[in-house]
Amino acid sequence: MSECVWIHYARPRPHWYGLDDAARSAHEARWRAVAETSASAGGSRVGRYHVRGQQDFETVEIWWFPGAEAAFDHWAALAAAGYGELNAFANSIGLAIEGSP
Amino acid sequence: MTLLTEATDVFAAAEPSGRCLVAFIAKRQPLVSGLFGREQSRRLTDLLRALQGEGWLMSVRAMFEPNANAEPSAFDCGFAHDADMMGAFEAPSLSAALAGAVRLEQAGWARLFATEWLVGPREFSPVRGRGERTDHCWGFLALWEWNDAWSAATTAERRAYDEECDIAFNGDLALGINIAGRHRLDWASRWHHAGVWEAPSLASIDLAMRGHEAAADFKFTTSRHYVGRLRPLQHFIERDAGRE
Repeated sequence: MSECVWIHYARPRPHWYGLDDAARSAHEARWRAVAETSASAGGSRVGRYHVRGQQDFETVEIWWFPGAEAAFDHWAALAAAGYGELNAFANSIGLAIEGSP
Repeated sequence: MTLLTEATDVFAAAEPSGRCLVAFIAKRQPLVSGLFGREQSRRLTDLLRALQGEGWLMSVRAMFEPNANAEPSAFDCGFAHDADMMGAFEAPSLSAALAGAVRLEQAGWARLFATEWLVGPREFSPVRGRGERTDHCWGFLALWEWNDAWSAATTAERRAYDEECDIAFNGDLALGINIAGRHRLDWASRWHHAGVWEAPSLASIDLAMRGHEAAADFKFTTSRHYVGRLRPLQHFIERDAGRE
């Protein structure tokens, strides 16, 4: 098992903009709980950055995970919490390069 | 694993096995003489054999008959696409899939091809087409994402859509097409799913697509499709080794 970075581009889908603040907050609380579970399982969120100026997406979020399965589990939990239905996304996984300078 | 969408009449959820698709869409690299010779060919061939020993399936065919033919194969797709070869292996796990793609690249694959690797676990079991087994010498790779319209649809609307799509999938099976289930890509791709087929002819794939159009399959998906003619992977490797 190799450590990896997981790179997540996202932007809200159109119907996100039709939700009121309470509904948005409820969704965001569920997704935050997933992130907390992933962090307590050994993952680490490097950060979330704004990229709308030069990308198809609004944000890019980068995580470090101890292995690919942990990255998959994180995403599968987010998807099960309805994340992908309210956000368009593109994900990528990168394995650590052994012996890299 | 929670399925991204539910099983249907045609597709049954696979037993969780951890097994993982390793699909590839590869564009031949312009080669300088000597960059890929017999030594690279031998290393790559040895690695393909080693991966089989580690529990990999090295062809779409093997997803239907794991013991039928161990020869690694791919589909020649240059006649229809801006890629020369596409295909799919199956690895024993997600980690093995990612590490295996790196090993292949390092063993010489990267000298031959610029490759998009698509990796993700199996969700649905393979489904065989109806009728006598024909010569399945064509391959089809479908990549798709659930679009904004699907995302905004109600559960009832999605169920009705799945039922309509099942009519089209039953049509595919009636054409003798073998469907290697469905794999989930969304954790490491912009695509949400991959579907890999074996088909008796290019015409059967085209007819199948007409059925999916009629069933309004594409109102809820954004898709990309590849078609290709079955060839031993060794043909793609030896062609360039022979130019040494």
